[in-house]
Amino acid sequence: MTQERGPRPPRRQEPSRQEPRKPKSGLLARIWAGFRAFFSVMGAAHREQVTELTRFEARELENAFVLLLMGSFTGLPAPPSFLAVELLPYLEHELSVLNRRAADATDALAELAGCLDID
Amino acid sequence: MKSIFFVGKGGVGKSTLAATAAWQLSRAGKRVFAISFDPAHNLGDIFGLTLTDRKTSIDDHLDLAEADLDRAAEVYVQKNVDILTQMYSYTKAFNLDLYFKVLRYSPGVEEYAALTVLEEVLRTETAYDYVVFDTPPTALTLRILALPNIAVTWVDRLRRIRREILRKRHTIHNLSGKFIEEGVELPYKEEDDEVIRQLGRLFDQYVDLYARLRGSDNSIAMVFNPDYLSWRESERIIRGLADLKLPLRAAFDNKYAQEMSEVADEVESTLFGSNRSFPVVRVPFNGLRRENAYRMEFDILGALTIGEMQR
Repeated sequence: MTQERGPRPPRRQEPSRQEPRKPKSGLLARIWAGFRAFFSVMGAAHREQVTELTRFEARELENAFVLLLMGSFTGLPAPPSFLAVELLPYLEHELSVLNRRAADATDALAELAGCLDID
Repeated sequence: MKSIFFVGKGGVGKSTLAATAAWQLSRAGKRVFAISFDPAHNLGDIFGLTLTDRKTSIDDHLDLAEADLDRAAEVYVQKNVDILTQMYSYTKAFNLDLYFKVLRYSPGVEEYAALTVLEEVLRTETAYDYVVFDTPPTALTLRILALPNIAVTWVDRLRRIRREILRKRHTIHNLSGKFIEEGVELPYKEEDDEVIRQLGRLFDQYVDLYARLRGSDNSIAMVFNPDYLSWRESERIIRGLADLKLPLRAAFDNKYAQEMSEVADEVESTLFGSNRSFPVVRVPFNGLRRENAYRMEFDILGALTIGEMQR
């Protein structure tokens, strides 16, 4: 459905955005392209690192949450065990992570060091 | 429905006075349900009946029952065992039978089992005008009554940690899209997280229960004897109830005799001081046989009604 409007004013001739700016020289263009590539990779790597750190934090918190709940089974000062009975059925993921970590005897400090690229 | 808890040291006449209160209230035309949580099962003895967890009707104004805490504990322990089986399913050699027996006497099991029955009674027996509770010995009673507070405190803490976890997952989601770990897409929004939902449910449940116990529809009546032996324990009860902010509305100095007036005066003034916000009633020792103890002439209803008017 189109409505008939009055005649359109003539379009301004705008330079096409798709064509790249004409470089002053080949070398400068290559340097500029190099910088842009570098920063884009840096950005991605940085985002990756932050993600990894946050994942680590999230995992540690999840572990703390489940350990806190299960503390009643192991004698730690803990919420009363009826809370564990109510909530543990919904914490399958956290429990499997906990079991896997216990089995692998993961060194949390080493894992953190790995995230931060400390050799 | 109003509830009255009779608390006190073992042997002071707590069950007798609970039975008497239930009886007198029912004769005054109220619909009454008396239930005993005392493992000693005195309530049945007092009425000369064998009581079970199914109601026994004396007449259309009075029903009696004895809570089966053993069964409630078994149900709860079974849940514990089911959880453990699920968690440690890879250890086939786990000896569950032994664990089951041991867990029954683990700290917290008895009080939680009692609390579930208590909560159910308060929630479902609303057709009665009064529900009278005969309670277990002091220490257990105080631990049961403290549970709602404890639960609320912990649930609140767990909720805060869980929210922090969801916030972190949300960040990860924002940074790198779908958050999949171990092949499962983990929820990062509160409305998608079952754990937060359950925590909310538990929070509301225990907040409501605590409010019910603290509210004007609930009363706690303490029973003691005019002797130094029940003095200490009575102090503990008063302190415990004050800490929990639970409403002590009447005290009964039971098995009182004229010869003991000096001791009675001393015990009463030490326990309550002269500034009493609730009635302290001396119930005379009446020498009735146990089976008719609830038919004592002494009107303890007066004390309970006074308490009522003060609310």
